[in-house]
Amino acid sequence: MSKFMEKTEDVVRRCKTLGADEAIARTVNSCNHQVRFSNNQIDTSLVWNSYVTDVVLSWNKRVVATQIANFQNTDQILKHLFKLAKVSQENPMYGGFATGRFNYRKSTGDGSLVNLENPAEYVFEAIDAAKDEAGPETNAGGIFLASASNVYQISSEGPEGEDVRSSVELSIRAFTEKEASGHGVECSSKLKGFEPRRAGRKAGQIAKHAKNPKPGEEGKYDVVFDPLFVGSLLGMWGSMASAYSVMVQLSIFVDNLGKKVASEMVTMRDVPAPYSMSERVFDDEGVPTRENVIIENGVLKTYLHNTSTAKIFKTTTTGNAGIVAPGPWNIEMDAGAMSKEELFKQVRHGLYLTNTWYTRFQNYKSGDFSTIPRDGIFQIENGEIKQSLKDIRLSDNALRMLNNITGISRERQHVHWWAEADPPSLSPFILMKDVQITTSR
Amino acid sequence: MNKDLVDFALKCANEKQVDYAEIRAHNEKSDDLTMKNGVVDAYVSAVDAGFGVRVLAEGGIGFASSNKWTHSEAKSVVDIAYRLARAAKRTDKIVFAKEKSVQTSWKAVEKEKIEDVSAERRIATFEGLDRELISQGVDVPGRMFRFGTTLTEKYFVNTEGSVISSFVPKLGAYAFITVAEGGKSEQAYKQFGYSGGWEALDEWKITEQMIDEAKMLQGVIKEATAVRPGKMDLVCGSEVTGIAAHESCGHPMEADRILGREMSQAGMSFVYPNGPFWIGAKVGSSIVNVIDDPTLKCSYGYYEYDDEGVKARPRILFREGFINEFLQNRESASKMKTRSNGSSRSTGYDREAIVRMANTFVQPGNYDEEEIFEQVNHGVYMKSFTEWNIDDKRFNQRYVGREAYLIEKGELKGRIARPVIETTTPTFWGAVDAVSKKLEFDAATCGKGDPQQGIPVYTGGPIMRLRGVYIK
Repeated sequence: MSKFMEKTEDVVRRCKTLGADEAIARTVNSCNHQVRFSNNQIDTSLVWNSYVTDVVLSWNKRVVATQIANFQNTDQILKHLFKLAKVSQENPMYGGFATGRFNYRKSTGDGSLVNLENPAEYVFEAIDAAKDEAGPETNAGGIFLASASNVYQISSEGPEGEDVRSSVELSIRAFTEKEASGHGVECSSKLKGFEPRRAGRKAGQIAKHAKNPKPGEEGKYDVVFDPLFVGSLLGMWGSMASAYSVMVQLSIFVDNLGKKVASEMVTMRDVPAPYSMSERVFDDEGVPTRENVIIENGVLKTYLHNTSTAKIFKTTTTGNAGIVAPGPWNIEMDAGAMSKEELFKQVRHGLYLTNTWYTRFQNYKSGDFSTIPRDGIFQIENGEIKQSLKDIRLSDNALRMLNNITGISRERQHVHWWAEADPPSLSPFILMKDVQITTSR
Repeated sequence: MNKDLVDFALKCANEKQVDYAEIRAHNEKSDDLTMKNGVVDAYVSAVDAGFGVRVLAEGGIGFASSNKWTHSEAKSVVDIAYRLARAAKRTDKIVFAKEKSVQTSWKAVEKEKIEDVSAERRIATFEGLDRELISQGVDVPGRMFRFGTTLTEKYFVNTEGSVISSFVPKLGAYAFITVAEGGKSEQAYKQFGYSGGWEALDEWKITEQMIDEAKMLQGVIKEATAVRPGKMDLVCGSEVTGIAAHESCGHPMEADRILGREMSQAGMSFVYPNGPFWIGAKVGSSIVNVIDDPTLKCSYGYYEYDDEGVKARPRILFREGFINEFLQNRESASKMKTRSNGSSRSTGYDREAIVRMANTFVQPGNYDEEEIFEQVNHGVYMKSFTEWNIDDKRFNQRYVGREAYLIEKGELKGRIARPVIETTTPTFWGAVDAVSKKLEFDAATCGKGDPQQGIPVYTGGPIMRLRGVYIK
């Protein structure tokens, strides 16, 4: 057992000695290296390291948590925590932490990401690629972020394991004019195969075509969504599959289990797969993570659970804990039968939307919301990308949109962007009918 | 907090060829509870302490941080920040606008100390809220409350001789409810925030406010009708005035955004060099004055010195309808050949400080509220909002009414269901023809930065009347 595991186990032992019914401790040793750039130059480079142990314990169905960073005060911190448990309120819905011993698949995380010699090189590769596509006057900005964590987790109820979690991403937005831009991302769990130029090329290609945009017009359109935009939509739908979201009515999936919620061509999964930025081999209770089919051929198959929410819904955990709220790790939409080109050919008069931001709801349960397309917005005429547009808003309904999907591409991309396309996803191009577009007056 | 270690880190930085260096240490004690449908999900209590080092060297900026409080770690973190700064290899070198050094300490005053309030009392407060809320004859099937306190001690030193200590206690609450009636539902959330002590709870009146919200939402489901779309007058409640001030005035006036430093995330601004809008350009009617003021005691965005050690002051962003001043930190101010106005904020020791708002509001005018309504022949009173958003140049915005009423011949008539204003920044601010005397604030968490730095702010204003805008 490593010294980190021993330290983590010691925390759990001390919690039990104090009288806790159950305890989980998770020590995370992490290193993050970010380069931020704009106007084709590096603005700042940042490194933030941390070493903490998260502790959660239960006593008579009271759940309390803390974080230990200063290990000289561990006893004092845990005594305070246990005192809190004694005065906290019983949670009748608390169903305990997961029990049992598990064999985890081998972690494939890339620990070498903490030792990058010169991450600025990745940034300049991406900028150069954008310029190659869109011209030397192209103005680009974005971030490069590499993160790696060693995770040591022990539960008094049996689960214990080690994991290496790593991610690397480059996000670049290129401008060819003040109101003509394109956005590209390159995302991975490992450095191998990581190609920042791909992101730069995509941003440059879109920015080149986005020149001279005209104001868009209100109406209902057939829309082809780029994988980056689909990443935002999958994040929205995926978070609504959390049982916690369902319980507090923050979801279009309330009372919809087993019912048709999407077009029959839609199958959506949560898969913390080795390629994914959020790859992990166990969840926050120590349950092995796994593939969960959320929507299969348009039918809602499951919510995402931890042990407590699973008991409330009379099922078993899906390996998506969060102690308080379960959530998705990495959402995949199954590939469709058509190529990207075939998808575009389906559209006689419509739009191609490449990215979005600022998604806000009127009512999460009914699904009424709006979001603002940004970067390349294009009119499609007879399957061809034509005029660049600007100043439109997508004002529609999250449930209706799921049902209006009429095409899914074979090509898929692993995408993540800031807080907008989050959590990471494996996203295809999708075609959707009757998408409501509004504009300012 | 081990200030000696922070001073040691500064000494390490001073021994290098830096143009500038600062060490910012935070010690943050937080207590948070989450309650779902009347049950406490978890109570989290933690202390997070660490220090961040920012170095300006050879025209580049490097930042590194750690939560390990050892001399070797401090030295290593300084080394990393210095190396990162030099690696930037910028063609145009970054310099910081000049500032005087400051030696001071300041704190937010607590009338009733947060630390003296037990966990039992905190839990009982929100249990009581939940109990009251569900005993009003309104079906509220979804109730989520989050409540947290943070006690933040900061220690800031830089190579120019500044030494600033501060202590700011903050309280924040978030309430989200779903009201059901006859198979339909409406939702509302409200946020509360305060810098100071437990007396915040008396000021918030959170139970009364959430009961009013629940009853109002029931009324919307039962009574509200759609507005007939068209041009009409719009009276904005202070909550709507405040969000508009924040989104379409505060954000586009952020100098780092104008310069492109947030270009790939939060975006840029309709204000840019040699564009149609710059300082002195008209963007609203002559009675529109929008201010961002960090110095409001007890406000959620309160501070006396920013995270670069610059003295805070009110900033007049729009003056009589004209763009007047941008929000600046030392980096942006230098690029624009001006001085910082103390707008640099960070959410933690491990995040760089960037240009942020504090408390952004429309300055009150001369009208009584009654006068504002009396002079409306046909219009909508949008008292509060639900869905809202704005594009990343801060030009095209949309606010959807949560509580709204039809106004006919100066009288409030029936409830209106989710009226929408979707318009541009100049159209919105240019239509304002009356502003009331009474100033009110709402708490919010403003998002910006990568990684996201959700920062406490107030949005606010009086009641404001817009003439002849399109409502649907």
